[in-house]
Amino acid sequence: MESAILEMKESAKEPVSMLRINNVSKIYNESITALNEVNLDIPEGEFVSFVGPSGCGKSTIFKIIAGLSEPTTGKIEMISPTQQETKMDRNDVGFVFQHATLLPWKSVLENVALPLELKGVPKKERQERGKEVLGMVGLDGYEKALPRQLSGGMQMRVSIARSLIAKPKLLLMDEPFGALDEMTRQNLHYELLKIWERTGMTVLFITHNVFESVFLSTKIAVMSARPGRITNVFDVPSYERDDSFRSTAEFSHLVGEISKGLQH
Amino acid sequence: MSREAVNRTGQVVVNNSAVDAVNKKSSELMKKTLPPFVALISFIVFWQVVVTLIGTPHYILPKPTDIFDAAVKNWSNLSTALMTTIVSAVSGFLLSVVGGIGVAVLMASSKLIERSFYPYAIILQTIPVVAIAPIIVIWFGSGMNAIVIIAFTIGFFPMLSNTLIGLNATDHNMKNLFYLYNASKWQVMWKLRFPAALPYIIAGAKISCTLAVVGAIVGEYIAGVGGGAGGLGYAITVAASRLQTPYLFALGLSAAVLGIAFFLLVSYISRMFLASWHESEMEQE
Repeated sequence: MESAILEMKESAKEPVSMLRINNVSKIYNESITALNEVNLDIPEGEFVSFVGPSGCGKSTIFKIIAGLSEPTTGKIEMISPTQQETKMDRNDVGFVFQHATLLPWKSVLENVALPLELKGVPKKERQERGKEVLGMVGLDGYEKALPRQLSGGMQMRVSIARSLIAKPKLLLMDEPFGALDEMTRQNLHYELLKIWERTGMTVLFITHNVFESVFLSTKIAVMSARPGRITNVFDVPSYERDDSFRSTAEFSHLVGEISKGLQH
Repeated sequence: MSREAVNRTGQVVVNNSAVDAVNKKSSELMKKTLPPFVALISFIVFWQVVVTLIGTPHYILPKPTDIFDAAVKNWSNLSTALMTTIVSAVSGFLLSVVGGIGVAVLMASSKLIERSFYPYAIILQTIPVVAIAPIIVIWFGSGMNAIVIIAFTIGFFPMLSNTLIGLNATDHNMKNLFYLYNASKWQVMWKLRFPAALPYIIAGAKISCTLAVVGAIVGEYIAGVGGGAGGLGYAITVAASRLQTPYLFALGLSAAVLGIAFFLLVSYISRMFLASWHESEMEQE
């Protein structure tokens, strides 16, 4: 309910909602409540993190938003950014998973161009787009490499490039950096923020790392388990996101608040 | 940009040590092939000496030289028989590859078809080929057709079951990815499931190719016709009835060499297919 209050406070700016999670519950096998009445409004262009312990239903929310799973009750409303009543279609959503999920027999460029290939975009055009997004993630010159020749961090970059190729308006990232080492992860944080600023898309980001969520997000939804629900929503003021941000008092303060929120 | 990593194939390093690498490779090859080669030679010499000393008649146990003589003397017969068997085995194998993959794709694209027919495929697989062969001969008559069909029958099931297992073993995350990007069923099959199943398909082909040789020889045994057209299987029956034991040995060895050569050929082709990405075919680094 706290989220609703926060929404009201923000109404001065009148942000345009892009995604409305409306009273969504998910019950498995008629007994296990994975999600209990989750409500969240996600304004366009925000970077929203979902933080919580494992089993709190973060991934379930994502599956429901992505359409891989149906909510038991409630609904997800995707609002087209053009504000027409037409629903946003799946072509406007990009996905990044915890694992890079690249096709091992395809080159980096072919992997990146896969969403366009599935859509039937001509080869020349999708290769051009592919090179463009590979440039965005800093992988120029790796077009012909095979996934197994890349490190984990680079594979994740390829995966991010693939999610960007169809110019999504909404990007869903499910613990994308969970398996990476700290250095690689921090590099990718900067890259991701750069891409986010450049494209202006809305990003939903799942993580169990509080530091990561504070560093990246404009809004943080704290979740708790059994039953999975959103217990708190924090707004992160707009700071310059650089190394010094990590050592500011505000940063530590937010991290502390959120960690406290997680202990409920 | 690539602060966090570099290509780990390590190919950059090689250049000036390339020659050393080649030398090292050939010496490793020697290490691998020399011992079995020496063992083989010793075994043949031992065989020759023992049989000569004891004086066993050549129709019971021929000396290696007898076998060699028999192969040379009957070379025209042996080579025609071998060629016939090669043609039958390869045709049967190719049919089983095409048929096995085709049926597996059909079963994998519909759970209903798979559930309806796969159990019977397994039951059919357990019927020994010698029990089916006479029926095939009744239907198709003696000769090449029946032999190819027998070779096909025995090679078909490993192809089918391996391909089907491969098609059903696609990574769950990959399937989700294709679903999220609105891939059609056709796209999921040919752009994801089939290429992902290639290692399984090739494992099936390696089993099938040796079985196809066995199938062809068994087929010739039962359905072979006279003359050179009978293949190795028929030549074996004839040689056995005439007690030409050295020739019998030569024929058996030829069959073994054929099986091995066929297996190596299929392995080589599979390496070309998979070398770039699949672990089982990658060179050890």
